[in-house]
Amino acid sequence: MMEISQFLIKMLSLPGLSGYEAPIRDLLMETWRPLTDDLNISRLGSLHALHRGAGLDSRPCLLISAHMDAIGLMVTGIVNEFLRITEIGGVDDRILPGQRVVVHGRRDLPGVVVKPPDFLLPPGKGGQTVAREYLLVDVGLLPAEVNQVVRLGDLVSFGQEPFELSGEALAGHSLDNRASVAALTVCLQELQHLKHQWDVWLVATTQEEETLGGAFTSPFEIQPDIVIAVDVTFAKGPGVNEHTAYPLGKGNTLGWGPNIHPALFHTFKDLAERLEIPYSMEAMPRHSGTDAYAMQVVAGGAPSMVVGIPLRYMHTPVEMVSLKDIQRAGRILAEFIARLEPDFLNKITWEDH
Amino acid sequence: MKNLIKKLVESIGPSGYESDVRRLVQEEITDFADELRTDAMGSLIARKGTKKGNGMRIMLSAHLDEIGLVASHIDEKGFIRFSTLGGVYPRNCPGGRVRFMSGVEGVIGVERLESSEHNITIEHLYIDVGAANREDCPVKIGEVAAFHRPMLDLGNRIAAKSIDDRIGVAILIETLRQIKESPHELYFVFSVQEEVGLRGAGTAAYALDPELGLAVDVTLTGDTPKGPKMEVSLGKGPAIKIRDGRMLSDPRLIQHLVQAAQNAGLPYQLEILEGGTTDASAIQISRAGVPAGCISVPCRYVHSPSEMVDYNDVQNAVKLLVNVLSNPIQLDKSAA
Repeated sequence: MMEISQFLIKMLSLPGLSGYEAPIRDLLMETWRPLTDDLNISRLGSLHALHRGAGLDSRPCLLISAHMDAIGLMVTGIVNEFLRITEIGGVDDRILPGQRVVVHGRRDLPGVVVKPPDFLLPPGKGGQTVAREYLLVDVGLLPAEVNQVVRLGDLVSFGQEPFELSGEALAGHSLDNRASVAALTVCLQELQHLKHQWDVWLVATTQEEETLGGAFTSPFEIQPDIVIAVDVTFAKGPGVNEHTAYPLGKGNTLGWGPNIHPALFHTFKDLAERLEIPYSMEAMPRHSGTDAYAMQVVAGGAPSMVVGIPLRYMHTPVEMVSLKDIQRAGRILAEFIARLEPDFLNKITWEDH
Repeated sequence: MKNLIKKLVESIGPSGYESDVRRLVQEEITDFADELRTDAMGSLIARKGTKKGNGMRIMLSAHLDEIGLVASHIDEKGFIRFSTLGGVYPRNCPGGRVRFMSGVEGVIGVERLESSEHNITIEHLYIDVGAANREDCPVKIGEVAAFHRPMLDLGNRIAAKSIDDRIGVAILIETLRQIKESPHELYFVFSVQEEVGLRGAGTAAYALDPELGLAVDVTLTGDTPKGPKMEVSLGKGPAIKIRDGRMLSDPRLIQHLVQAAQNAGLPYQLEILEGGTTDASAIQISRAGVPAGCISVPCRYVHSPSEMVDYNDVQNAVKLLVNVLSNPIQLDKSAA
């Protein structure tokens, strides 16, 4: 079996910002092809991978999504030899100054985010977090060279290398949500030796960090009977509210709220207890902050579920996850799939308790 | 084209009340479309041509509606309080003139502010139609108005209310008139309710199921005193959208549009807009997804009663569109 931490590190070393996911998608195609029966790419670039069920001709169909796009920056202007930037997805301005980045121009350029000294900022803007409009990227080239290699709209990825920590933890950028893509890959590996009745479409979605674009469109094409989103959630850590975060390395979260079909929550909860997989219930009072928010209401709608992987320091270049939680998410998904009976849909009703 | 633009910007059609503008557009294009219909929402849809060879089914969209006001209360003295349709900025209102759909005209007044620090909000504003009291007021609650003023022709530049997005409407009309040969099945959609949530474009995209979507709308500029830090200026050509507040344009389509502009020797700019969006974002997530982008006309003072564009940008937008739509479109996978 593939070493999941090595695969994750390989994924994290590839760009793939929202709307521009081709590099990460190519790696996933290569990795998933031998594990699946069919692969195709949606019109918005999402990767659809089918693991066919063993049931009768009219098999029901499950869609499990994990978004493969990452947050980052985009060049909005060139000021002398420096680059002005905006965000792709939600980037925390506070952590930007001093970050290593890679500018994807006509060729890749290493660079660093710099802030002007306080005395060059407008009155009242010094002595505090510098707003993004005053930050610049320095790639070390002269103005004429910069203008040849870089243009407006070029993407800028975080350059921080991923690294393993003691205690089976991994830190790096884009673990949101490539940790979940790794979990889907674990699930696929498990399915190789499990029998299942339903067709399973694993979908690596695009543009989640910006518009949920992949999640709004792929279910329209696949027409699933059930949808599950796998995404990262807030792990307990410094400055994080106890009541809105979940322990790192101590299991997955199972979503609960209007974005989740109650019967699916209970099915997962019972399954986790039977398999002795630790879990937390994650209350999602409104938007789950995941693909499920879109997928639940595509076309005629579908029963939906969210499985979460706790992660610290979200939307920074040192996001941190526990490899165990990734393995657990992959396993519970595979066990859920193996237990899906052909008539499962007829047995579930929306009972909100 | 200036006469067409003048007619369009001097007509009134706030979101949900686009009938007059729709009628006007219909008259202008009826001789040039192969098929014309108005959908359930009120969007006007004109088809031109059918798919041939490697052609695509393409949806083009410019919105008919403009931002406006709705009378919500009339006080004893005949002053009208109002609520807004779309993104009306209170600071752009005082002293403005409005015209109700009924033809009644009035001016916007502002209450005396408690201090100079106070920001003007909608609650401070009222419309005065010259009525002596409530009984004398010719406007009833629920009546809809828009900013009212004639177009200002400044030579190379034009200022008017509702340039957003009548300029896009004018560009689509002119493009439809000029297209002679195309391998594509072209749907020119004059959409409704863009300013209140891209509602007309969403339903039209669902109905048409296009293989490619392109909006024509205005974008902001960074070329005014202390304006936003944005590399778009008036007069430097139509802008090819890379992203806005709610859409990342399809990179393959961006590349195709840039290549087309370069090959045709047309000026163009690249647009990165930090807020706001266009019909294209609704088209992009329609059905199973649609590769989508936008050709924007750089515009100063957007959502004010005096929006300003450069006439050369407008004409070059038409040239770019006619060029792109007359030729096959290959979306190069390597661009994504």
